[in-house]
Amino acid sequence: MTDRRRPWVIVGTAIPLVWVAVTLLLPYALLLVQSFWHQGANGRPTHDLTLANYVRLFSTSLYPSTILYSAGVALRVTIASLLLAYPLAYLLAFKVQRHKQLLYMAVIIPLWVSYLVRAYAWKIILGQQGVVNGILMSLGIVHAPVTFFLYSTAAVVIALTHIYTPFTLMPIYAVLESIPPSLREASHDLYGNRWRTFWHVTLPLSLPGVLAGCTFAFVLSMGDFLAPQLLGGNDSALMVSNLVWSLFGVSSDWPLGAAVSVVMLALTLTLLWIANRASPAARKYR
Amino acid sequence: MSLLELRELSRRFGDFVALDSVNLSVQAGEFLTVLGASGSGKTTTLRLIAGFDRPTSGSIWMDGTDLAPLPPFRRPVNTVFQHYALFPHMSVRDNVGYGLRMQKVAPAEIARRVDEALAMVRLGDFGGRAPKQLSGGQQQRVALARALVNRPRVLLLDEPLGALDLKLRREMQLELKQLQTQVGITFIYVTHDQEEALTMSDRIVLMRAGRIEQIGTPREMYDSPRSRYVADFIGDTNLLRIDGNELSVRPEHVQLVAAEGGAMPGVVDAVTFVGSTYRVRVALADGQKVVALQGAPREIGQRVAVQWDPSRGVIVRD
Repeated sequence: MTDRRRPWVIVGTAIPLVWVAVTLLLPYALLLVQSFWHQGANGRPTHDLTLANYVRLFSTSLYPSTILYSAGVALRVTIASLLLAYPLAYLLAFKVQRHKQLLYMAVIIPLWVSYLVRAYAWKIILGQQGVVNGILMSLGIVHAPVTFFLYSTAAVVIALTHIYTPFTLMPIYAVLESIPPSLREASHDLYGNRWRTFWHVTLPLSLPGVLAGCTFAFVLSMGDFLAPQLLGGNDSALMVSNLVWSLFGVSSDWPLGAAVSVVMLALTLTLLWIANRASPAARKYR
Repeated sequence: MSLLELRELSRRFGDFVALDSVNLSVQAGEFLTVLGASGSGKTTTLRLIAGFDRPTSGSIWMDGTDLAPLPPFRRPVNTVFQHYALFPHMSVRDNVGYGLRMQKVAPAEIARRVDEALAMVRLGDFGGRAPKQLSGGQQQRVALARALVNRPRVLLLDEPLGALDLKLRREMQLELKQLQTQVGITFIYVTHDQEEALTMSDRIVLMRAGRIEQIGTPREMYDSPRSRYVADFIGDTNLLRIDGNELSVRPEHVQLVAAEGGAMPGVVDAVTFVGSTYRVRVALADGQKVVALQGAPREIGQRVAVQWDPSRGVIVRD
């Protein structure tokens, strides 16, 4: 039986492998090669290999500072997502008895709405003629629309938090659901009140999910392009992806754009590797 | 002296009555087994005493206080869970010391009592291990140590041997009983295994559909079952309808005699070898079947008569 199925197994495995190789690995390889090319005087890259792009990247303060700024935004998004997602996942997993599936879907459904629509929604909410200003003005708290809601780091963080919180929630919810109820009962039985049971049993056992969720939020928001483009407004609120876009699209400096991309990729992979290494430690006794 | 008293304890889940006005008095230092089929209310009873569940009505008295409104972490009882429920992210030592840490006992005393408890269950060298690295029987003993180290007034055990294989289960039965005698703590032991109940208990409470069917020592339950359900649940028995009464006669009490002159003649219709003895089944003239345990086999088709010492035939109600 195994022998007869083998061709299908090979075909079934090969198709996604080829797909990933052609659409993902190959472009990454080209990007890596291109990052060592020389940017010619006429704006066209020549194929002489050079480290000049990387030297420029690290010696021009714009690039490191934008990377740091992006990491800062990503960190704030991660913390905000975690603070929203953990209590929500906890309530869903342990406190809600009825309509559990419905509530879970309500949390997840925004994922099915186009990303662009969600980012634009925040533009409408935070804009000068937006919902927030409308409420403030009708209550007489302010007399002229407040402009700094939109086109600020705060707006970007709010929108990204909204967009990536479901990604943080899902792994935390999954891991909380997988904790046997008897473990929490055992803690209660052994004189652990609700808070100490959470601190000593539930929280440590949910750390793998927290780690996975935070990794999602951080990596996805660090590489985000649209939210800073739509809501960040001025140049100071641009993130790395916007920079890469303008290097490729506006200044036509593809080798430098590739170098920035490679650095970002390296940073992200390092982060994923650290998260992966930390995970088994978090569940040493599992 | 009565240590724990359940009074008119009921638990309903919607329309389903899991526990129906149960009254039970538990003596200090006894090994009490709550026996019953699944859905009989035995686990519900245990969870109500532990505090994982709240009764719909009724009370649970200990030392003049009603435990029913208290959360589990304020009750002087501890539980050994069916699948042990050891904390997977803690070492064996940390598992055993958990209850003492939660009670803020001094670290030096915690260390001493954890050592003591681990020695008691013969796991002195296993403190640094993770629960996962232990066998089922060892995990079981860690669960016991984790509960007993707190010196509870009552230890609740929820089918603690259910996951072990038969041989290990028998060993653990003896060990548990010895341990209970040694520490003198009241055990309330829930099981569906009648053999386990007979082996270990001082008293057995047999539950059926949320009510107590009969309470008694293993001997009483076996020799004087009050109902057909008890007779059938505990041990093997023959249930016979004779002169309008229902009679329970244990197979080991049935004698086979010569067909001539016997009051209840019949024909041997099945013989099974069960190791030390033979189970001989006799079809009586009226169609009822009687099983007798015999030292020697009988021929199938042989005409015999069955009889028993009248004191061995127990009249049971429906």
